[in-house]
Amino acid sequence: MLNPGDTAPPFDLPCSVEDRIDRIALAKIRTEMVVLFFYPRDFSFICPTEVTGFNQERQQFADENATLIGASVDSAESHLRWARELGGIGYPLLADEGGAVARAYGVYEEKERVAMRATFILDGDRKIVYALASPINVGRSVSETLRVVRAIRTGQLCPAEWKPGTKFGPSDRHF
Amino acid sequence: MQDGVLTTAGVLAGLTGAVSNHSQVILAAIASTAAGALSMGVGAYLGTSAETEVVRSELERTRGEAAQRPYIMQEALLRQLEKEGLAREASYRVVELLSSSPELLLATTEEKVFGLGGAMLGNALLDGVVMGIAFIAGALVPLVPYILITTPRIALGAALCATALVLFGVGYFEGWLAQREQRWRSGARFLVIALGAAAVGYVIGLAISPLGGVAG
Repeated sequence: MLNPGDTAPPFDLPCSVEDRIDRIALAKIRTEMVVLFFYPRDFSFICPTEVTGFNQERQQFADENATLIGASVDSAESHLRWARELGGIGYPLLADEGGAVARAYGVYEEKERVAMRATFILDGDRKIVYALASPINVGRSVSETLRVVRAIRTGQLCPAEWKPGTKFGPSDRHF
Repeated sequence: MQDGVLTTAGVLAGLTGAVSNHSQVILAAIASTAAGALSMGVGAYLGTSAETEVVRSELERTRGEAAQRPYIMQEALLRQLEKEGLAREASYRVVELLSSSPELLLATTEEKVFGLGGAMLGNALLDGVVMGIAFIAGALVPLVPYILITTPRIALGAALCATALVLFGVGYFEGWLAQREQRWRSGARFLVIALGAAAVGYVIGLAISPLGGVAG
């Protein structure tokens, strides 16, 4: 799995977004940050809460000048049907068929032939600034991902449980 | 049942070759039948008991897991259906439908994923008794004609004929159950095995008879 400091491997693949099939390339994304999260499969009983959770907060990520991208080894057509099943997903779901992108990020499980639950936050230089892998049966926290994006954007030293409006370290003696 | 038929036929053939006294052969065959029936009955009882315990324990474990983490059951069943050739999306729909009835979802997952089911919880005592009785019933097939006919070699011939007839019948019946077109083949297979076992037993009996100092 790639770590903070590593350059994010590029991708240029089909995706589903809103109610259509499109294409997305990392090189063409202009936002300050990119949140790329991998999930194992479409049509799963484990993953949907994350996919819908990110969708509910997608405006918050947009407000932070961050592009949200979900990725799995399913096709764009599958993503589209899955997104419809979930009531519509407003951010791109990358069709990483064959798992080349997941492999490049070091989060492909060869045995299961799916991506791990992994989240990467990329900065403006498309360097990885945050990397997280979660057990298959534990959904990730959307609010925590958003908190980390906000914390990174401050460029400050953020203490544990930092939230917008709270003090930065280390000038704070309690930090 | 065929265990009892074959074992007893083999014992009769072997002892007829080794022991000249007809009554001794019958007593030995009865003793062998009793020991065989007990052994098979106890073996079936213990086997079913152990299997039932394992199945019951696995069922309890999966039911506990299903109660705590139903999505694990759903995901496991989804994967199994996909593995068996159903498209992912179709598998999802099937599991989703089954999920409306937690009991049905659990039962289907147990059977499809874990190969378990309530039907596998056998009755050990019944299995043991049935196995023992079946062994005795099978043993009576060669034993009865052997008891009724006093000339050893004719008695053995009659016992082997009865054995062959019954085993052929069992094989034929199996072919009928399996709805095979050539049912006689199933019968013939049983017949060949029976005659082979009897012949081998008889030859071994003849071979060891000099060691016991008894005349053939």
